[in-house]
Amino acid sequence: MTGALLAASGLTKHFGGLTAVEGLELELLPGEILALIGPNGAGKTTTFNLIAGVFPPSAGSITLDGVRIDGMPVHRIAALGLMRTFQHNMPFAGMPLADNILVGRHTHFRAGLVDILLGLRRFREEEAAARRRAAELVTLVGLGDEVDRDVSTLPFGEGRLLELARALAGEPRVILLDEPAAGLTQPEMTRLAATIRDIAARGIAVLLIEHDMHFLLPLAHRVVVLNFGRKIAEGTPDEIARNPEVIEAYLGGAVSGTTARLGHA
Amino acid sequence: MRGASSVLAWLAAIVAASALAFWLGGYATDVYRKMLIWIALALSYNFLFGIAGQVAFSHFAFAGVGAYAVVILAHKIGLPFGAAFIGALALCALLSYIVALPSTRLEGFYLALATLAFSQLVLVVIDEGGGLTGGTGGIANYRLPDVLGYAIRGPWYTVLLVLLVALTLWVLVRLDHSAFGRACRAIRDNAVAATAMGVDVRHVKVLAFTLTSTLAGLAGVGYAYVDNVINPSVFGLENMFLLLFMVIIGGSGSHLGAIIGAVLVYLAPFLLEPIVGHGFLVVFGVLVVLTILFQPAGLAGLLASRSARHAT
Repeated sequence: MTGALLAASGLTKHFGGLTAVEGLELELLPGEILALIGPNGAGKTTTFNLIAGVFPPSAGSITLDGVRIDGMPVHRIAALGLMRTFQHNMPFAGMPLADNILVGRHTHFRAGLVDILLGLRRFREEEAAARRRAAELVTLVGLGDEVDRDVSTLPFGEGRLLELARALAGEPRVILLDEPAAGLTQPEMTRLAATIRDIAARGIAVLLIEHDMHFLLPLAHRVVVLNFGRKIAEGTPDEIARNPEVIEAYLGGAVSGTTARLGHA
Repeated sequence: MRGASSVLAWLAAIVAASALAFWLGGYATDVYRKMLIWIALALSYNFLFGIAGQVAFSHFAFAGVGAYAVVILAHKIGLPFGAAFIGALALCALLSYIVALPSTRLEGFYLALATLAFSQLVLVVIDEGGGLTGGTGGIANYRLPDVLGYAIRGPWYTVLLVLLVALTLWVLVRLDHSAFGRACRAIRDNAVAATAMGVDVRHVKVLAFTLTSTLAGLAGVGYAYVDNVINPSVFGLENMFLLLFMVIIGGSGSHLGAIIGAVLVYLAPFLLEPIVGHGFLVVFGVLVVLTILFQPAGLAGLLASRSARHAT
């Protein structure tokens, strides 16, 4: 497929004797919301870690806008515009909310040592603009309008939203969301779905791991199903929900409709 | 204007701290000067330990490198003072960079061990340096050369030390409030997440180590002309741990805390020694344990929470 922003080809990862991901083909278009589903241990988070550069693939390639990123260090991949959230909240607990989000913007700061030490205009303007953007993002994801909150006391669900705001602060071209809705209340989920649609509408490619089908199926444009590290199905949410192989293998045939929670079997 | 008022606050503090120098007697001046050196060291060590989260024990060693380098270059080799000064700082920067390259790969305990070993190595080199370093007896009988024809003596040298503290504080506060400072704190709190946000963890760690160690070297240069005597015992581990106590008791990660901690821990023995003798070290030990257990944000954190309560 041409025009893919993120593409993985023949992506394989062995951990010792265990094959976590095998021969995975993945393509993600700008503005697309692609969901990665499958039971626990299917290789979803391993796939995320391969794309984000946490470890190199055993075989295969990954390109971001045509540039090979497999084998690149994590921070360089982030600088190319690929940001992520983590399955478990990973806040910078000793820093206020706004500063947490500003770290997500790290690669966009251009002021040099002299600008910083002398507090020159270039530094001050850049900081002011970044702080305005951080405040916007706090509101956008639904964290209210208090930017100096202590993140060590954030409830779990708000910690999920911080993960999202921090990743968005990097103005990514591709964003990887690892179970963004886990632990959110129903109103928070509704808001999160709207935010993700909004992100995609701005041309950002969204790759999403999620267990909650009720949340996922109305949101995703396309779904890829993994099991034992292999892709076993790919299609629109409707096709996936009706795919007998998926239902047989992952819903065990016993769970009804779209409210099933894959992976918690 | 916020910018103008903050410049005024800086100037007022510098003028007040300088004015004190003209009012203090001989003994008090000596105490005051050493306190200023401690504050400068505590500020840069707070950045390294409290903000960048590097448990390094080489800070006093780099102060020693700075002090010995400037004295050897200026008074043993006979370079012009400007060249000796720049040479001493350049040596600290280069040496700390070389130490940082391998040791910032290490985490926590192992970084502590590596930097402890380096500190001991510096002491051994000074002890065994023969005529160049003066061995265990150190170097004496030198004094600050005239700078551009001016002899900086008496209270004016104290003013110079006030400016040294102000410069150190300025550099560290500015950096703390930049993307670099946030990256340092982010690495301290969660290095995996920091990397994912695009922070080059190794690069930031090496930079933080090199920069703060060079500032320690600068404080060491300032120390060299306080008594016009340097000897290796000053740069040993006892003072290194005192520095650690200062930062922890004052409030790890807080510039104000580093200043409060340095002033309290440095001055406390003058009050405690007549009462408990050398037992003041025990008092510090107990204070550190209590701080870690009950007030991890230190005295600065205590102040902040009190003012927050008053505000609401």
